[in-house]
Amino acid sequence: MLMPKKVKFRKQQKGRNRGKAWRGSELAFGDFGLKTLDHAHITDRQIEASRVAMTRFIKRGGKIWLRLFPDKPITKKPAEVRMGSGKGPLDHWVAVVKPGKILFEMEGVTREVAQEAMRLASHKLPMKTLFVARHDAVAATTQKS
Amino acid sequence: MSAPEVVTATPREGKFTKNVARRVRVAGSIPAVVYGAQQPSVAVTVDPKQIRRILHSESGHNTIFDLNVSGSVAKAMVVDWQNDPIKGNLIHIDMKRIAMDKAMRVEVPIQLLGVPVGVRTQGGILDQVLREIEIECLPADIPGHIDIDVSELAFGMVIRVADLPHNEKLTFITDEDTTVAHITAVREEVVATPDALAAETPAEPEVAKKGKQETPEAGEEVKKDDKKDAKK
Repeated sequence: MLMPKKVKFRKQQKGRNRGKAWRGSELAFGDFGLKTLDHAHITDRQIEASRVAMTRFIKRGGKIWLRLFPDKPITKKPAEVRMGSGKGPLDHWVAVVKPGKILFEMEGVTREVAQEAMRLASHKLPMKTLFVARHDAVAATTQKS
Repeated sequence: MSAPEVVTATPREGKFTKNVARRVRVAGSIPAVVYGAQQPSVAVTVDPKQIRRILHSESGHNTIFDLNVSGSVAKAMVVDWQNDPIKGNLIHIDMKRIAMDKAMRVEVPIQLLGVPVGVRTQGGILDQVLREIEIECLPADIPGHIDIDVSELAFGMVIRVADLPHNEKLTFITDEDTTVAHITAVREEVVATPDALAAETPAEPEVAKKGKQETPEAGEEVKKDDKKDAKK
């Protein structure tokens, strides 16, 4: 699973997730992408499941970029433990995303393949998403195929 | 490059706050600014459909059009634009007045033509690293796109800016060694067993040590002890 190699502090406060993703909201690497339409905490397991779903569908066809990284630690108290006595141990890592953020990008495949791969990936995620493409990507992929 | 249409801009008056800008958008226009050609900048409103048509035209954002601001017509170009991250609507644009006799710097898209050998026979993927290139030329000489044939591109070969077709009208500003495109290999997905995955992933990341690592000097300790004694 994805997680930082080194952190400054082991635990973080919850924080608030508001506003739009003004950065990272445009395609930067590939021709196709998956954009989130909601605020969410995406766990390391969900990111990995989406990546595997896309990779298995496109097989050896294309290249995938992950535009998010789970860098926020989430703690959880063990079951049947009374409240108090400090913050619980680290449980998992999440990526905090705001609406408009591009989550994944893809290149080297046709629009239909990319759309289906992104659909499969979106089913592993906890929020609504949107398939996006460069406005000239359709002509480019037709030419490549 | 032909001017496809005349863009009519209405000057904005009064306050230029975000609330006023929001009202302009609700009314169906978008706020914009016109500057350049050693004239003062003017805050205006324009029709977003017209601008979207220009941005999606063949020459894209480098299209030179006639801009009519309260009767005075000047050649202009869209130099910057902001989209809503969710809906994708245009929010604001910057337009620059163009002097047709002065060279200017613009970014032109690079179009790769053909299917590379590395993709056809070697099973690789064509990776276009650079999609736009910065050039300097007269406004009338701005190309819609710069084409390069990549059909001979194989594994290990790289197309650089130096390989793009040059001519005396265009000056390439982007570094000649910058990679434009290359063929990348597709990595096989290794199916990891649960045991291997558990061994590979550490339970917790390393925590950076805080504070100074050096031990305090002997002199400082002595001074602190003196202060304690004085209080007593």
